[in-house]
Amino acid sequence: MSFRSISFKPMRFKTWMAVIAGGVPASLAAIILFLVIYSWPAAHVNGIGFIFRDTWNIGNVYANPIQVNGVTIMPGARYGILFLIAGTLLSSLIALLLAVPVGVGAAIFLAEVVRGKLRTVMSVIVELFAAIPSVVYGLWGYVVLVPLLGHHVYPFMAKTLSWLPFFGGLPGSGYGLLTAGIVLAMMIVPLIASILRDALISQPAALREAAMALGATKFETVWRVLLPGTRTVLIGATILALGRALGETMAVLMVSGGALNYLPSNIYSPVSTMAAFIVSQLDSALQDPTQMAVRSLAEIALILLIISIGVNALARGILKVWSFAGNPAGAVQR
Amino acid sequence: MNNGTRLPSRKAAKGSFVMAAMVAGALLGGGTAVAATTHMLETGSSLLYPLFNLWVPAYAKVNPNLKITTQSTGSGTGISQAISGIAQIGASDAYLSNAQMMAHKGMLNIPLAISSQMINYNVPGLNGDHLKLSANTIADIYEGKVKYWDNAMIAKTNPGVKLPHKMIVPVHRTDGSGDTFIFSQYLSFSTPSWNKAVGYGTTVSWPAVPGSQGAVGNPGMVATLKTTPYSIAYIGVSFRNAIKEAKMGEARIGNRDGNYVLISNKTVSDAVVAMAKKTPADERISLIYAPGKSAYPIVNYEYAIVKEKQASKEVAEHMRKFFTWAMSAEHGNSKHFMEQVGFVPLPAAIRELSRKQIEKIH
Repeated sequence: MSFRSISFKPMRFKTWMAVIAGGVPASLAAIILFLVIYSWPAAHVNGIGFIFRDTWNIGNVYANPIQVNGVTIMPGARYGILFLIAGTLLSSLIALLLAVPVGVGAAIFLAEVVRGKLRTVMSVIVELFAAIPSVVYGLWGYVVLVPLLGHHVYPFMAKTLSWLPFFGGLPGSGYGLLTAGIVLAMMIVPLIASILRDALISQPAALREAAMALGATKFETVWRVLLPGTRTVLIGATILALGRALGETMAVLMVSGGALNYLPSNIYSPVSTMAAFIVSQLDSALQDPTQMAVRSLAEIALILLIISIGVNALARGILKVWSFAGNPAGAVQR
Repeated sequence: MNNGTRLPSRKAAKGSFVMAAMVAGALLGGGTAVAATTHMLETGSSLLYPLFNLWVPAYAKVNPNLKITTQSTGSGTGISQAISGIAQIGASDAYLSNAQMMAHKGMLNIPLAISSQMINYNVPGLNGDHLKLSANTIADIYEGKVKYWDNAMIAKTNPGVKLPHKMIVPVHRTDGSGDTFIFSQYLSFSTPSWNKAVGYGTTVSWPAVPGSQGAVGNPGMVATLKTTPYSIAYIGVSFRNAIKEAKMGEARIGNRDGNYVLISNKTVSDAVVAMAKKTPADERISLIYAPGKSAYPIVNYEYAIVKEKQASKEVAEHMRKFFTWAMSAEHGNSKHFMEQVGFVPLPAAIRELSRKQIEKIH
């Protein structure tokens, strides 16, 4: 009996590994399948207009349900999430615009400027920042950032930058698109900085020496030799950061102002993002006896998933094209 | 080393464990049968949550064999968990709709206490004045028709008050909320244009007013009001102390009879008494915009949503006893508990209706 079990072991090991390895894609497929099946009746009623309309109305839940296209919904129910898609993409875009330059700067500083113990300490600090739970950033934004920006910075910006499109108009109260973008940027800067720092440090010493030997200054060495070599890493880090920004929920919920049914008119306007909206609306969606509200939230989740996968695929495509142009050897020849 | 010898030894171990447990039980129970502890889960309304947290430890002294766990999840979750049976008590600021009652037979809506809602504002210099605002004015502010604090509609009800020409920032809840439900009901019952354009619900499709703000939870409403000059917000009465500490204004609001009233035991009780006669046997009724000279217009029952048929006779009995205790004027509905959360006790007529509903739990 014992002999037998030993002889079966490799076989079993392989089977188990296959089950475990298969489990990851299988669970992803199961989630997508669930979202598709669960949100199907909602998608059927909402139609393609779901992503082009600015109305989220779960209808009169105290009235009697009615039939539309063979599906039972509450009277007055109408769902459209253009304002959520816009809020999600715009806040993430602002976050990237703010975070990438700062993250690159921080990485160069850590890899090329400071040395020895100071570098170790500062690198650890940056990595600690990446580990802070997002709700802490949200709370800080809520308590410190919102009053500061709303009372002092935004009114000043709206006045002096009114010639720039989307920077003039009502400065709002501090809750809004730009605040959400800033909080998201704070969250993703450490991510970009620590990944890029590692890549810069691991660049071959020969590259630095060769550049120096050609008479390049320190700035030229970093800018023209080392950075191009880490371009793919930077894009990879940016994709990771974008993924985090798109899906961020609590921090955004706390500072975005929770706009409902309208697009932002300027950079200070309140917005909502898809992830934050799912959390904030789930409880009242549960009161819809036809379940159409919860199913429409599932449809939002599905679209968020599709956007995230789409962004990732796009970035991977860019990565492939650039990785040929951006190899270190090519950079040195320039 | 085969299974044949292993199994019996395991069984023996199990057996001795059961024996030990029985001995221990016998010792603890002093030889008589041990009274079993019944567990109950309460989830839902964040407004009722503080009251349950006062009730549960107090009731544990009356009946230590009932262990109630409380959770603040929001009324919608409370209702859906009470329907599915995950929670025995679903706390809700709103009663179940006809459609929900039809879809889930045998659900009870039992009022536990009476809550009310303030309309608060932050107009520097005028926060101590209790500005008078009619229901139509508030509806027009949230619809974006009344844009400035010195609008004629506000000036008309506040003669002699120097109103600033500043833009009004209407603040609303972005999470689904019983507060939004009763606030939008107040506007719907009083203002036809609001009823037609927006209606009422735990989330409503807020008109897009430039500069308007969203906030999460009552604490978020207080914080946004405080940090946003010239804003207006609707906030549950449990947060009255927070509003006073923040030195924010509380408006006198228009009632059905055209008078302007503040929340007090009298104005809230007047509204409840006016509606008590109309309350049906299943107690599903809105107390909003009640008639009466001094009736406060935004008042609501706080409900326990429970199943008539409980999992066992023991659970049902515990539940009946707990609700009877919670509703009695000497215990759960006494001033001691109600004043701590800003609620008003149930009037006798309503307690009688609730008693009949509680008897149905089996």
